[in-house]
Amino acid sequence: MPSKSIEELNHIVGKTNRTVENFEIERGKVAEFARAIRDPAKIYINEKAAQEAGYKTIPAPPTFARTSYFPRYRPEGIDYDLGFDLGFDRSRVVHGEQKYEYTRPLYVGDVLVGDTTLEDVHQREGSDGGTMTFAVLRTDFTDEDGEHVLSASNTRIETGRAIGGGSK
Amino acid sequence: MTREYTVGDSVKHTVEDISRTDFAKYAGASGDFNPIHYDEPHAEQTGYESVFGQGMFTAGIASQSVREALGLQNLKEYRTRFSSQVWPGDTLFTTVEVTAVTETDEGTRVETDVTVTNQDGEKVVTGTAVAIV
Repeated sequence: MPSKSIEELNHIVGKTNRTVENFEIERGKVAEFARAIRDPAKIYINEKAAQEAGYKTIPAPPTFARTSYFPRYRPEGIDYDLGFDLGFDRSRVVHGEQKYEYTRPLYVGDVLVGDTTLEDVHQREGSDGGTMTFAVLRTDFTDEDGEHVLSASNTRIETGRAIGGGSK
Repeated sequence: MTREYTVGDSVKHTVEDISRTDFAKYAGASGDFNPIHYDEPHAEQTGYESVFGQGMFTAGIASQSVREALGLQNLKEYRTRFSSQVWPGDTLFTTVEVTAVTETDEGTRVETDVTVTNQDGEKVVTGTAVAIV
């Protein structure tokens, strides 16, 4: 169980923090990320190939916004917890689900900011005992014109007991 | 580029020989430095047999078939649920299959199921992707 009660956690549902600043989509980082996910598409590395495929310039892969976790894009005082003290024991936290909603692709040259809202907190009993606590953190990314580009919703689960016990 | 979508159409791809190097590269590229994904003694101490992949690494792998099936310009939603771990040595099979095609005011809405299974047929990621084409 988190060190905070569900009532305390519900009290901060709906709160929003600025969590991403100066998130510049850099060409080299996009190429590196595409290699890391083993997608060989030329659109991620070559501007001409991207334009021939109908993109205005090199787009970033659908999950690229994960790179906003690098400390250089974080406002002071914001780290893994995204400014929400949920009282979760990090050693028992797993990433349960991720959802992206897009207004348009992310392009090299975009500079974004992100605002994270604690969207939901709930608990249920795990199948193997112990209470599981779910927190949904939605980050809305906007461009320099203030237009929405994408939202990333991350579901964190504090599991009822030490994770461990995983096996091949 | 217009394309016809029919329920049951699918795009698939396979990524072989997932290795510790993949997890280290993804850590470096993504900024996810949780040591459970690349530090073997740490993973063992925590109770795992070895390091295992970041969930978002597998979501990234699967995004190749999502891109091929729907195109990034049209993509409206991409959702993934992490149901099982990815281990060094695994082979990952991604399938993106059209489940619904409906006409809406915004255009044709194409809904797909996204599934990643390993060499034992176990699902490691299940999800959905939606495009307006």
